Amino acid sequence: MGESKKKLTGAEIIWECLIQEGVDVVFGYPGGTILPAYDALNNYSDKIHHVLVRHEQGATHMADGYARSSGKVGVAMATSGPGAANMVTGIATAMMDSSPIVCITGQVPRAAIGSDAFQETDIAGTVIPVSKHSYLVMDIHNLASTIKEAFTVARSGRPGPVLVDIPKDIQTEAIEFDYPLGPVTIPGNNIAQKAELNELEQAATLIGKAKKPVILAGHGILISGASKEIVEMAEIANIPIGWTLLGSGAVPASHPLNMGMMGMHGEFAVNNAIQKADLLIACGMRFDDRVTGNIKTYSPDSKKIHIEIDPAEINKNVRVDVGIVGDLRVVLQQLIPLLRKKKNNEWLKKITSWQSESLARDIINLQTDTLYGAQVIHDLWQETNGDAIIVSDVGQHQMLEAQYFQHEEPNTLLTSGGLGTMGFSLPAAIGASFSRKDKEIWVIVGDGSIQMTITELATAVQEKVNIRIAIINNGYLGMVRQWQQLFYDARYKETPISSPDYLKIAEAYGLPGFRVTKREEISSAVQEAKKTNGPALIEFVVEQHDMVYPMVPAGANLNEMISRPVHDQFQESEI
Amino acid sequence: MKQTLIVFVQDEPGVLNRVSSMIRKRNFNIDSLVAGRTDNPSITRMTIVLNEPDKTKQKIVVNNLKKLIDVYDVVDATDIDCHLREYALVKIKISGSPDELKSMVSIDNCRILEQEKDTIILELSGNEAKVEEMISKLKTFDVLELMRSGKMAMISGNDEEHQPELVKSDPDWATQKLVEAY
Repeated sequence: MGESKKKLTGAEIIWECLIQEGVDVVFGYPGGTILPAYDALNNYSDKIHHVLVRHEQGATHMADGYARSSGKVGVAMATSGPGAANMVTGIATAMMDSSPIVCITGQVPRAAIGSDAFQETDIAGTVIPVSKHSYLVMDIHNLASTIKEAFTVARSGRPGPVLVDIPKDIQTEAIEFDYPLGPVTIPGNNIAQKAELNELEQAATLIGKAKKPVILAGHGILISGASKEIVEMAEIANIPIGWTLLGSGAVPASHPLNMGMMGMHGEFAVNNAIQKADLLIACGMRFDDRVTGNIKTYSPDSKKIHIEIDPAEINKNVRVDVGIVGDLRVVLQQLIPLLRKKKNNEWLKKITSWQSESLARDIINLQTDTLYGAQVIHDLWQETNGDAIIVSDVGQHQMLEAQYFQHEEPNTLLTSGGLGTMGFSLPAAIGASFSRKDKEIWVIVGDGSIQMTITELATAVQEKVNIRIAIINNGYLGMVRQWQQLFYDARYKETPISSPDYLKIAEAYGLPGFRVTKREEISSAVQEAKKTNGPALIEFVVEQHDMVYPMVPAGANLNEMISRPVHDQFQESEI
Repeated sequence: MKQTLIVFVQDEPGVLNRVSSMIRKRNFNIDSLVAGRTDNPSITRMTIVLNEPDKTKQKIVVNNLKKLIDVYDVVDATDIDCHLREYALVKIKISGSPDELKSMVSIDNCRILEQEKDTIILELSGNEAKVEEMISKLKTFDVLELMRSGKMAMISGNDEEHQPELVKSDPDWATQKLVEAY
């Protein structure tokens, strides 16, 4: 018999496993049933940095922001009951946007499970519909293998959130620790596949024949790292590219074949191109209702190729002619050699003519006394030379960001697209600051959204994270107000929202604060905020009644957009 | 038109919850769901019958079931030659002579489990049509209790293409290997 191995408690095993997974930061909040894990953290503080959040929802968004900005798995930790339940919104957010996070929660001791014990919630059951998977560990001998499996499941295939629930008595029990070597195996064959040759040939033939093709660039390009390939494909056959909100940055904004964003607040030219196209090549996207408009009239005359890692997305919303399941980068690398050079000049010319129409309605150069949200974002883009990670929240400012901040690199826009979770941006930016110390990070957030998770300002200050927070304050829940204005005869029910004095908020939390009310003040405020070490906040007081244009009303055809009134009328038509 | 699925899952606590939760969340409607052990103690086999006539949606439910981490494989038996069998228990109150009822029991797949002073419990089995027919006949009697099992499916013959894949695989490994290959 050899020397007997050192015994470790379940609590210690948790940290050992996280270290094995390469985790160096955990976002969490202690409490009763996770206490043993936090006690054990005393011995691992040199390897793992713990960020004390102010609300568990914040922990999940931080893990999410960390994951989206780095491609690595983000980790959040909380206690049982309310702590775990507070994570649900963050888990659902990560699920909708395919973000790999692992949430570790304490649970009441095994003997108490099912007894409605203090702070008991069936969290593994609660998150089933909003997570990729969840585990309840009932035997310490399975603890290490379960954590390892959780990380594998979270990052593989189409990534997503995984929760591991660990009863308190398993954390205190001790066993001889063996880290499970060898690969994790799970039932089924839900793994990335490469494309079949005949599928690729069908796709190549369609691309060869098309006269009016459009590439739809989605989040999958960022997740699989296929930016280079998508540009290569576009250049060979001269195919214009439109992107989804989460596909922002998938292709450089300055690329001549980049048309811009598609969908409800996308560019008219992009939506029109999609409607008039004879071929759509959808790459790593899922035809969400926000990008299709009326599904029955969506791109009626086009053949459709859909390349996607998740087979359940093929033919879900839109019927396609060629559906290719696989890792996007691998599939494109297979497909590119089969393509031949093409020009598509006439088609590109047509698109350019549509683009010039919307330029005439732009408000960037509008001379006004009040500041416009779009101007703030445009100028912020200039002041940062476009070289920043933007974390936007949900609402009008989110759409303006997508329209006016030109992203050149992948993974430089983090935003809650699928779930549309208000309050996402501040915590997600804190998370991103731990993986991307090389980049300037800006939060762009509305006055409604910031107040949902404003409590995380304390976390930002305590951690001295280098993030800059741009609050676009229009005194309204602007996007909801926009819908009330357009579709509810301007009955503004419960959308006017008051704000605290953000300068006093900044002072109270202990970070520098600035207020901007005029366009000429933007530059100096941004430059001042950039100088500070640690977080800084700028409040931009903007025009209250501006709207996001253009807009496809829900259920309308994709190219039947409400466009911004031209400038002269625009002044008069204000409320 | 109903959809018949044979689903092979890992025998784990909560797996039924995961399967039914997915079906509910995707707005499908369960006609019947039967789960039971197989010759392999770590695998549970389910037969799920859904009220879903739309072929595209039928595909969606299969693909989403396959995505579940605990699911080994799903065989869609809807358009395949298969045996779809059901079992039922019926308790009937007897007030007069049981002879008329007993004469029906001579029919295939129906027998008396128990005869008490004024009640009879019958068990019956067969395909859906047969069970339906029997039950409608029994309704002329005084039925006290009735319980149907839901349907179990088994595909005819031993065709290769209808065999489930009951293996575990490493999702990380497969992804990495593919990426390296290019």
